[in-house]
Amino acid sequence: MSIQEQYRSRAKELLGEGSVKMVIGYGVGTTATRRRPIFITSPDETDRLVLDASCRTNLAGYLLREGLLADQKSIAVFLLPDGVRALNILAAESQLATAQIVVLGFEIKGEEVKPLEGTAAGDFSAIIAERKEQRKAQPSHEMAVKLEEMTPAERFAFWEKEFSRCIKCYACRAACPMCWCRRCVVDNNQPQWVNTSSHTLGNLEWNLVRAFHLAGRCVECGNCSEACPVNIPLHLLNGRMTDEVLTAFDHYPGADEQQEPVLASFRKDDPETFIL
Amino acid sequence: MSEPFEPKIVAFVCTYCTYAGADLAGTSRLKYPPNVRIVRLPCTGRISPMFILKAFQKGADGVLVSGCHPGDCHFDHGNYHARRRWTAFNALLQFTGVPEERVKFSWISAAEGIKFAELIDSITEEIRTAGPFEQYHKLIAETGSAASV
Amino acid sequence: MAKIGVFVCHCGENIAAKVDCTKLVAAMEGHPGVAIAHEYKYFCSEPGQESIKKAVAEYGLTGVIVAACSPRMHEATFRTACAEAGLNPYLCEIANIREQCSWVHNDGEQATRKAIEITRSLVEKVKRNNELQPIEVPVTRRALVIGGGIAGIQAALDIANAGGEVVLVEREASLGGHMAQLSETFPTLDCSQCIMTPRMVEAARHPKIRLLTYSEIEKVEGFIGNFNVTVRQKARFVDMNLCTGCGECMQKCPAKKISGEFDCGLANRTAIYTPFAQAVPNKPVIDSEHCIFFKNGKCKACQRVCPTDAINFEMEDELVELEIGAIVVATGFQVQNTALYGEYGYGRYPDVLTGLQFERLASASGPTGGKITRPSDGKEPETIVFIQCAGSRDPSKGIAYCSKICCMYTAKHAMLYRHKNHDGNSRIFYMDIRAAGKGYDEFTRRAIEEDGAGYVRGRVSKLWQENGKLMVRGADTLLGRPVEVAADMVVLATAMVPQPDSKELGKTLGIGYDEYGFFNEAHLKLRPVETATAGIFLAGACQSPKDIPDSVAQASACASKVLALFSRDKLEREPVIAQNNEATCSGCWGCVLACPYNAIEKKDLTDRSGNLIRRVASVNAGLCQGCGTCVTFCRSNSIDLAGFTEKQIFAEVMGL
Repeated sequence: MSIQEQYRSRAKELLGEGSVKMVIGYGVGTTATRRRPIFITSPDETDRLVLDASCRTNLAGYLLREGLLADQKSIAVFLLPDGVRALNILAAESQLATAQIVVLGFEIKGEEVKPLEGTAAGDFSAIIAERKEQRKAQPSHEMAVKLEEMTPAERFAFWEKEFSRCIKCYACRAACPMCWCRRCVVDNNQPQWVNTSSHTLGNLEWNLVRAFHLAGRCVECGNCSEACPVNIPLHLLNGRMTDEVLTAFDHYPGADEQQEPVLASFRKDDPETFIL
Repeated sequence: MSEPFEPKIVAFVCTYCTYAGADLAGTSRLKYPPNVRIVRLPCTGRISPMFILKAFQKGADGVLVSGCHPGDCHFDHGNYHARRRWTAFNALLQFTGVPEERVKFSWISAAEGIKFAELIDSITEEIRTAGPFEQYHKLIAETGSAASV
Repeated sequence: MAKIGVFVCHCGENIAAKVDCTKLVAAMEGHPGVAIAHEYKYFCSEPGQESIKKAVAEYGLTGVIVAACSPRMHEATFRTACAEAGLNPYLCEIANIREQCSWVHNDGEQATRKAIEITRSLVEKVKRNNELQPIEVPVTRRALVIGGGIAGIQAALDIANAGGEVVLVEREASLGGHMAQLSETFPTLDCSQCIMTPRMVEAARHPKIRLLTYSEIEKVEGFIGNFNVTVRQKARFVDMNLCTGCGECMQKCPAKKISGEFDCGLANRTAIYTPFAQAVPNKPVIDSEHCIFFKNGKCKACQRVCPTDAINFEMEDELVELEIGAIVVATGFQVQNTALYGEYGYGRYPDVLTGLQFERLASASGPTGGKITRPSDGKEPETIVFIQCAGSRDPSKGIAYCSKICCMYTAKHAMLYRHKNHDGNSRIFYMDIRAAGKGYDEFTRRAIEEDGAGYVRGRVSKLWQENGKLMVRGADTLLGRPVEVAADMVVLATAMVPQPDSKELGKTLGIGYDEYGFFNEAHLKLRPVETATAGIFLAGACQSPKDIPDSVAQASACASKVLALFSRDKLEREPVIAQNNEATCSGCWGCVLACPYNAIEKKDLTDRSGNLIRRVASVNAGLCQGCGTCVTFCRSNSIDLAGFTEKQIFAEVMGL
């Protein structure tokens, strides 16, 4: 049985026995490799589920639709390991209870899709721990390395060019599973901290604030860069934040659901080499 | 412009340590360059990264953020939280090309009037050498409102 | 429409000599929202304040900026003046153009320009200031004193004698603390028991003092004037109401070989015991760890002999809930574990003692009845070596501070030894003799001149046993040569250290502590008995090493602070506190975690039928101290800080 079949029948079983009220998974999209999220509530519909190497979107954010989890019923969701980390963060930040979530975990290696053992968020701690070590060892993104080698003026020019294209559509925010504030800071106009006009200054402010708000919370799923209609490499900013919290505070975002938010906690011996 | 460049520096400080240290510099009649404008907050824990961005928007060539030494915070651990935020935000600023000399962080106690005066001296000099923050000023100019230097 | 009044003070020449005040006034007059701008020689003077008040009334000002000295100097003065003129005091801000402008710059033109910018940005801020009302909180007139040593007893008695209610909590089975263990006290050599026990009895009998011995602090919630404290009263297994303290049980208890804590291991006690003969309350407890019945289910000898049936093996810990207005922490100290000093042989040689053990030997109520004899063979020592700073002032061993009392008690020990053994030799190795205090230096002189205390300035490097003697090798740095003394007993002046669990108590109370675990005062010089947490005060050695006079003085200072608090029906607090916008809060609880004061609670939002909609953060105004750490954390800008709101700071920065 292919993994797709395996997961379809698992979904069918869960819906059939009534242990979940909904399965959030991937369906076919408008092109051969485009997948779109689908929300299945009947066992008869599970044939619509697709699971292949194109299923890379992090679906965790869809769990936060207002009222979706209010009835205390469970929902199953297809998640990559980074999706499970997102789930952990959402739980750590009290946005949902993992007890209500059945994880249909899988990973993609090259073009191969592999099943992951486990159903609860906590069942995936081993693979998350492994990924933490990988992340520590792995050099940053190629472009990030190049950026670090530039002079500040060159870096500024690079980002100025990138941000100049931003049209403030907020697709990054809409796609990000961690952007769930009831009111985004950019929508607060008393005071208007972030310039809402899409001039480069306002765009810079918006993207800096978003990256800062994701520090220690971004699971690097790539939803934002994928969603950006003008191809701003947002993952570079977020990846740089992850580098920082990992090296400075040994914080791997979403390691488990008890993890304290990195910017709401501290250690007295946190590094401070840059402070005069 | 024939006038030599005088940088505009904005300092965000906590009232219990660095603000008091700046007062001490005054009561000790120490002299330092008049380029700095101080914004007083109750604690470094109250200093948001947004303040730094707004200071730049107002044409600052440099920003100083300063508070109580670790262990001295009047609010017990506001400065420890601040330190984490600065660590992240500082990394972000540098990654986006804000030069290191434009944003400085320091611990200055209520007793360190001399440290305050000397620090203002040295960062003013450093930024004077670096020149105006042209790249940011250009962005401000594009918005249609001139940086008030 | 804002009508801001700007008042530029010359401060005599202090400001006016550098800042062109007339120019500053002119610049402000044209600024949007500024109704009037005045200058004057001294706005802090009576006529100066009057002119501000007059202007407030005359122009109907909605905000006031005084451009003058630091707000740390006269903010209160000018806010009071505004309040007297009917303007909410929080609508007044100070532009600091003296300490941070005229005094630090030479160039008048530049200073003037800076003064204009400073003042302008504060005008922008004050336009966004809100009227704030001081927060009123009621006061529960009952104090909790933690620790029943001399400091705790003194604080409790002072408060109770002034009519305040006190709950005195002591961890051990009896009041007394370390002072009850001492023999005689410097510099007067009065017997410690003689001056201590009457105070213990007085505290226990006082109608205003509720005594909870064998009890520990479990939980502290709330804030100044309104603490809710849970105390764990440990099971004594002896019914306090029935027990008469006859002591029959202790006679019969077969578990007799338990090292006695009160005698520092120099004597044994039984499993059912009172710590010492003069214990208050003088009723025993059963030490369930050593009791034969608790170990193997058989014995109950005490129960059989008890004439009043007071023994109850079923007893359990009890939690006592208390409403408290103020807390005095007087948890004292411990002596350092001397295991760190292998070179001094403590623990290996029975005749190497700590200073506290020597106190027990010298005490008339001690294990030897006050006779100074060697624990190893009961012989009177002919030579005793005292080693000062055994632990203190040694950063390499982790203690950089001076324990303060050792110089004095070592001199006292040498004296007591000579008084009891007229031929005894004492040699004291010391680094410095620190005898600052009333009658203290005279006391150490007396030890040297009258009681033959032989001071050797230098450290001991090695100690070993040879032919029944303790050989002590050290350096005499004044003579510049090594010395070796054959001693019969060695007494180590071990460092005073915090209670081993002081940091946990600090966390329970929400008060700070230093690297060692001594509690932090709010200000070392000006607020030495207050902590940074309002309503919690410090007495005695839990704050730093202290002797009895200092501990008692500090305890009385705490009592006066507590009584000042109790003299009011309601407290007023600065309204600089956080407020949450429940509509935009997502309940992520980052603020809850970040808050240093546990001041943010989780609040249920419900619909009209009581169904939970969601949970949001809610600030407890009594606990919030106004640091704003939560505000910066809040990604959605939901929490804000009154007095330093996002709008105010934004305007202030944009006004620069």
